[in-house]
Amino acid sequence: MSSLYSRDFIVTLIIVLIPLCLALNADSYGQRIMTLSGIYAIAAMGYHLIFGRLGALSLAQGCFFGLGAYSAGLIGVHFELSFLTCLLFAVIFTALVALIIALPVLRLESHYFALATLGIAQVALLIAINWTEVTGGANGTYGIPQLDLFGMELSSSNHVLIFVWFILVIIVSLTFWIMRTPFNYQVTLLKDTPEVAASSGIDIGRWRLTFFIMSAIFGATAGALQAYTIGVVSPATLEFQVMVSILAMTVIGGKNHPAGAVIGAILLTHLPEWFRFLETHYLIAYGVALLCTIIITPSGIFGLFEKFIIKNPAYDLKILPSKENKSVSDASSTLLEIQGLSKTYGGIKALKNLNMTLQSYQIVGLVGPNGSGKSTLINIISGLQRQDEGTIKLDGSFIENTPSYKRSNRGIARTYQTSLRSSGLDVYQAILACSTNQHNLKHRDNQTHAILTNSRLTSKTGSMVGDLSAADARELDLCMALATEPKILLLDEPAAGLSSAEQQFLSTKIRQLAQSGISILIVDHSMDFLLPVVDRLICLDQGSVVAEGTPAEVLADPKALKLYFGNSRV
Amino acid sequence: MLDISLQLIVNGISLGCAYALITLGFVLVINAIGAVNFAQGDFVMAGGFLTVILAEYVIADNFNAIRASGLIILPLVLIGMAFFGLLFSMIAYKPLKNRPPVTVFISTIAMGLIIQHSINAGFGPEPQIGPALISSGTITIGTLTISKQQISIILSASFLILCVGFLMNKTQLGRKLRAASQDSEMAETIGINGPQCISITFSVAIALAGAAGLLLSNQFFVTTSDGGLYMLKAYIAVTLGGWGRLDGAVIAALAIGLFEVIMATLVSYVVAEALLFAALLLVLLFRPSGLFAEAIQRRT
Repeated sequence: MSSLYSRDFIVTLIIVLIPLCLALNADSYGQRIMTLSGIYAIAAMGYHLIFGRLGALSLAQGCFFGLGAYSAGLIGVHFELSFLTCLLFAVIFTALVALIIALPVLRLESHYFALATLGIAQVALLIAINWTEVTGGANGTYGIPQLDLFGMELSSSNHVLIFVWFILVIIVSLTFWIMRTPFNYQVTLLKDTPEVAASSGIDIGRWRLTFFIMSAIFGATAGALQAYTIGVVSPATLEFQVMVSILAMTVIGGKNHPAGAVIGAILLTHLPEWFRFLETHYLIAYGVALLCTIIITPSGIFGLFEKFIIKNPAYDLKILPSKENKSVSDASSTLLEIQGLSKTYGGIKALKNLNMTLQSYQIVGLVGPNGSGKSTLINIISGLQRQDEGTIKLDGSFIENTPSYKRSNRGIARTYQTSLRSSGLDVYQAILACSTNQHNLKHRDNQTHAILTNSRLTSKTGSMVGDLSAADARELDLCMALATEPKILLLDEPAAGLSSAEQQFLSTKIRQLAQSGISILIVDHSMDFLLPVVDRLICLDQGSVVAEGTPAEVLADPKALKLYFGNSRV
Repeated sequence: MLDISLQLIVNGISLGCAYALITLGFVLVINAIGAVNFAQGDFVMAGGFLTVILAEYVIADNFNAIRASGLIILPLVLIGMAFFGLLFSMIAYKPLKNRPPVTVFISTIAMGLIIQHSINAGFGPEPQIGPALISSGTITIGTLTISKQQISIILSASFLILCVGFLMNKTQLGRKLRAASQDSEMAETIGINGPQCISITFSVAIALAGAAGLLLSNQFFVTTSDGGLYMLKAYIAVTLGGWGRLDGAVIAALAIGLFEVIMATLVSYVVAEALLFAALLLVLLFRPSGLFAEAIQRRT
């Protein structure tokens, strides 16, 4: 679906180029304002990545802006270097700072992440004000040279404007390159439902780090340009106001799209011009606009535009030649081996020294009363929770300390008891996002089409995930799990809320999957659904296996019967 | 020497007490809605300005008094700020209550901007001075000299903190507020009006911020740009004290006040600030759940 993607890119370029063309004919004052818009658009582009796309409330973007301004400005004043060299130094310096602070703060929960980034910004401000010998203290440093390009000074406001907006175009292109399909969908999945993303093989840490560093690089670029266009760098560039302005631009323009950053930056830099009666108190207007946006249209101005003007096309499913089954070796082999697994919550033992194996070509049912440890077991196998003791062996190597996304890459997939739905994706995009074991976009596309063709969702490929019925959402969960090409599939209550026809469809599908060699573990309370479909049944109680065997054997076991059906006979 | 250090400790505790009021309000809101109120510091500043307005214009003009003392104004400020708290929750929280907490972060940032710059537009950036709580002057006990202002700050802040403790732990309203913070839906099923509880929590929180603004307005003046730093101190105190814990927050706020005054006197204010942030980052790095355990456990 690269057409959707390139359409997005073209729309964004148009949004960048129209104001630029208009500004080329403006007077030099208007051009200076537009230059400022371009600079802030670059900073907001970085913030749109870390906050808009990933949802991490970083409050360090103003700090990166200021660091870029100071480092480029001070190098420019003290050494006779070209602007591009200074810019390079500023970007590298700021990116290094971001890398150092990223290590401790990136894993923090959002409210600590916000505080830590804010704290760092405060430290930077204190240093800038008090390290007078280097920074010039509260007055800042004057006499930063003019922008230059290959030895030519850019003295006219026209040239400066074109130069800044040319860099903006580069930044926009870079942003689109980073967010190329399927990464754009993966990042959306990551923002809305981090658990699902992790168990679909998407590495949260990698994306956070990438976006944090990119936000620093873009922020520093903007800061350096700012210092060179006004010729001064002062602690004002590090103050919280800069951060709030960038945040307001990103949110008001539309935080989910690069075009939003550009729109927001143009609007908010011009706002003081339009509301001259506010004089220097234009930040009141920023606050009101920000508040109204977040209440009325949280996806910002571009979000409104997208909703009413851009329509996503439906997808035509390709009919692909069905893949012939790989050489089917009937010999069922042990895929997963669990030994001595224990897990305690506070004083409650959820799992006690549990041993279990899963074989290829086999469907295992896991039953037991509420609180018997079924969900905990699935969470531990998929890596969402960690065991206290015990080992898990997948294909002969131990994985009990492997992070969730790597387990997914190695063939463990799962669904969740309650569908965790990403609201920003349609059905096709959600499945494509999970095809993490395919490296070629064409293969990913083909695989998604194949999965959709074999699902109940053939007519709903273009529906937004949030609009699906509960039963369809369960089917989507399964499709997303299959997109990771699992060897082991863990299904947490897959039949809950399904009609009998839908359950029938699911049973058949599960059987087919097992015949292709996948090992399947199903947790479900509905015996009517479970008994006909499984090869083996494991009965859990208070964290231990009480009975195990074929369904007939387990049903004959008095312990299991008593546990599951009470004393009354079935 | 001993006298000086005792004097320092009294100063530190009085600043810490004011911080404790701010932090207490901050953490009450966190527990009620699961989001950080970035405008808390601006409400401290607004409380300071309300104090100045009441003292300078309303009371002085109408009652021919020379200047009203802070203690008389305190109840008025509490009531006024509680009203602002209600208004604040209606504007910045109500429309967003079913959205992710991060949107409330943003709306409170926006409200903070509006409050700060509106007051700035009205009064300008120059510092204003509020009235003393009872009177200026000092008490001399033996060789020890302590200002009456410091003592009265400590006493009135302690009184307010005890009131909040009493409200939350001993009254039916407090039980309802706590129930609604723990699980709003569950509380509703047993007949507690969740939204109302949240509004009340907001008014208590903002009233506390306003009280802190009054207590600080005499010694530290009131400046429109102060809000951010107060908010940061509260944020840090909540983190150090264990996210969501009232007792931890109060203790951490007292400790921050003491630390700040002592370091600022011995070395410099900048060093005090820098060390505070460094300590914060270290705690986040090595003990992300705070020095005390977190009160809010994540539900899985």
